[in-house]
Amino acid sequence: MAETIFFYIFGGIVLGAASLVAFSTNLLRAAFTLFFVLFGMAGLYVMLGGDFIGMVQIMVYAGGINVLLIFGTMLTGDIAKPEVSNLSFQGVLTFVAGVSFMSLLLAVLERTTWPLLDQPSMAPTTADIGRLLLKEYVLPFEVISFLLVAAMVGAIMVVLKSVEKP
Amino acid sequence: MTLQAVLTLSAMLFALGLVTFVSKRNSIAILMGVEMVLNAAALNFVAFSYYTPSKAAQLDGQVFAIFIILLAAAEAVVALGIALAVYKQYRHVRADELVQLNG
Repeated sequence: MAETIFFYIFGGIVLGAASLVAFSTNLLRAAFTLFFVLFGMAGLYVMLGGDFIGMVQIMVYAGGINVLLIFGTMLTGDIAKPEVSNLSFQGVLTFVAGVSFMSLLLAVLERTTWPLLDQPSMAPTTADIGRLLLKEYVLPFEVISFLLVAAMVGAIMVVLKSVEKP
Repeated sequence: MTLQAVLTLSAMLFALGLVTFVSKRNSIAILMGVEMVLNAAALNFVAFSYYTPSKAAQLDGQVFAIFIILLAAAEAVVALGIALAVYKQYRHVRADELVQLNG
């Protein structure tokens, strides 16, 4: 029972904040509202038995990526004109596309039956995830770390090489 | 809370992210839409690893969700670098006006 209540709370936070991000015309407000989406997702991860991944979500997404996004918003956007900084174009068409895509997904979801577990486990996951990352998934893990380094160096080079127009 | 409910929520979040990154004019807002789509995908992975885990390793889905989060970090860094470089050149980041290939 408590599980259902918390699911509706977190789901409501996620969906409400996501629709604010999607339909608000103020870019800075959208960037700050994204925090609520990410925190709500972290809560859902914890409810789905992923304690470690909920913490990773808060630290990497909310603490890293969203702060970067807010930096980017403040450095580049037309935030001096808040009422036009986040305008959509072709809004009706994309709304139709989004709604039809969601109906397609929900129709598929309605017709599928999944082989469910009787009693999903809520055991702590950190040790098992560490074991998986260093045994079965050690190659993707190393590739990802190399990719992160390459992305960081590449981003620094792109920003340094770009010329400043007078 | 059932698997159906979680997947429905994730489909709705995916659709909202889709609408955001297709319709927005500002590049940073497009990036926000991409982040929402990636979050929806990661939620699907975690939900499946909770309700119908694989026999061999129960936490496969959560490991994939970690990979998704790390890839999103790399993608956000590169995209923001490009956005800053574009802003230095053109003084705006409106995606529909950036039509030159070799400016």
